[in-house]
Amino acid sequence: MALAIKPALSRVGGFVSLVGDSSRAMFRRPFPLQEYLEQTVFIASVSILPAVFVTIPFTVVVQFFINQLLQEIGATDLAGGGSGFVVIQELGPFCSVLVVAGAGATAVCADLGSRRIREELDAMETLGLDPMHRLVAPRVLAFTTVALGLFGIVSVVGLVGTYVFSVVIGGASPGLFVSNLTLVTGAPEFIMAMIKTLLFGVTAAWVACYLGMNAKGGPKGVGEAVNQTVVVTLMVLVVINSAVTTVYLQLGV
Amino acid sequence: MSTLEESRREIVAEARARQIAVIKNIPHIPGNVIYAVGQHMNFYAAALAGIPLAVTRYRREVVRLIAAIAFGTGALVLVGGTVFVVAFLTGFAGVELGLQGYSQLGNIGVEALTGFISAYINTRLAAPALAGIALTATVGAGFTAQLGAMRVSEEIDALEVMSIHSVPYLVSTRIVAGLIAIIPIYSVSLLASYATTRAVVTLGFGQSSGAYSHYFDTFLIPSDIVISFIKVLFMAIVIMAISCYYGFNASGGPAGVGRAVGSAVRLSLVVVLFTDMLLSFALYGSTDTLNISG
Repeated sequence: MALAIKPALSRVGGFVSLVGDSSRAMFRRPFPLQEYLEQTVFIASVSILPAVFVTIPFTVVVQFFINQLLQEIGATDLAGGGSGFVVIQELGPFCSVLVVAGAGATAVCADLGSRRIREELDAMETLGLDPMHRLVAPRVLAFTTVALGLFGIVSVVGLVGTYVFSVVIGGASPGLFVSNLTLVTGAPEFIMAMIKTLLFGVTAAWVACYLGMNAKGGPKGVGEAVNQTVVVTLMVLVVINSAVTTVYLQLGV
Repeated sequence: MSTLEESRREIVAEARARQIAVIKNIPHIPGNVIYAVGQHMNFYAAALAGIPLAVTRYRREVVRLIAAIAFGTGALVLVGGTVFVVAFLTGFAGVELGLQGYSQLGNIGVEALTGFISAYINTRLAAPALAGIALTATVGAGFTAQLGAMRVSEEIDALEVMSIHSVPYLVSTRIVAGLIAIIPIYSVSLLASYATTRAVVTLGFGQSSGAYSHYFDTFLIPSDIVISFIKVLFMAIVIMAISCYYGFNASGGPAGVGRAVGSAVRLSLVVVLFTDMLLSFALYGSTDTLNISG
């Protein structure tokens, strides 16, 4: 048992120290602006298309069940309220980070992992370059930027998708759909969703960087590190999701 | 004579250059996409065709893989294996459903119906979707990593040299094992989502457990659960086929394996959610199973 606990604890410790080091490195000058921009473009380029194609089926299937429920109680015109609630509060942050974790984090973890295997990271340290400052800090910021941007795209795609599904296909009234969009979802809910997305993005970046930089054991090691990145990010994500929702409900804005 | 020959040659060369220019100007992405779709389909057909061989000749490998899928390999063991990860994710989906369901229904004064929401949304929507996503991350990405590493270190070529059919031995066995292992995994996950929603509503919000159970039991329809399993089984086939494809065709050393896992996860997520949507339309399309207003 002790054998199993020790590596687990040392991983937690390693992760926390990476979080601390990279947060500190973010404020150190000169900021690696070019790396940040390159990573932002890279993560965005692998994420945008999957984000659109993940959002459409996910929001539409949720809307399908909500419409069924609403139809049953004779309130089909509330479809807009359901759509705003589902897309902005729940699926918007979730989809955007699902894609950031599935597309961006895997790519970053694979990149850093293969640098570790090829001993490029050790070479950097020998040259006196801090990987935290040069590699991790810009990636964390890039993830946050992309996650927030994707949240915007996902929201628009989700709202349009559910609108088409409910109004054009389902026959709900277009005016009522639009006017009910803000029924249960207003500015406070939108801000909560932004905070969720922000936290998701930062965490996904840290997990990907930590697991990538600690990959070992050749091709299989890198593959496993990427596998773990997706799993751990998802697990952390659902916990944060519920925690933020609880805090928000307690605040009762 | 020679000038005539030369001018003829010039004309031919010019015409050819023009042809090449035309061909080059055609965007070649569609061709690549069609080619890739063909590659995928070829692979999936071979994998499905290999299932009888996998079941008859490689039964021992299938049994080994069932254990590996359920309890995880490598570092996944550290967090409790696939069963734990999938149940964890669907469990937290249940928590979220309990929190939001209770408070949204509370807005219109019918929070007593949260039990019904759990029986309805968890079974039909939340648990299958989250299980699909979780399987992509655990089993799917794991398969890509394993097969990719085998491909890069030329183990798959070694199998071929030993005249072992690599697709049935590696891919078809994984699909069969995945389909068998998914049933207990998903049972645990579905129970986890029910249990967490119940815990949030009765322990967290303090609703009486009798009221919760009443609406939960009334609206928990057995056929819904069967359909829910069917959805997850279809998703499992899709996930395993796609992730095995990317692992089987990985190239380019350690970085290539990492990239293959990324591509597999991306495509699986998209296809799994589309599968979920289409199966939901097909299987839950009629509303006559649900009678709230009597």
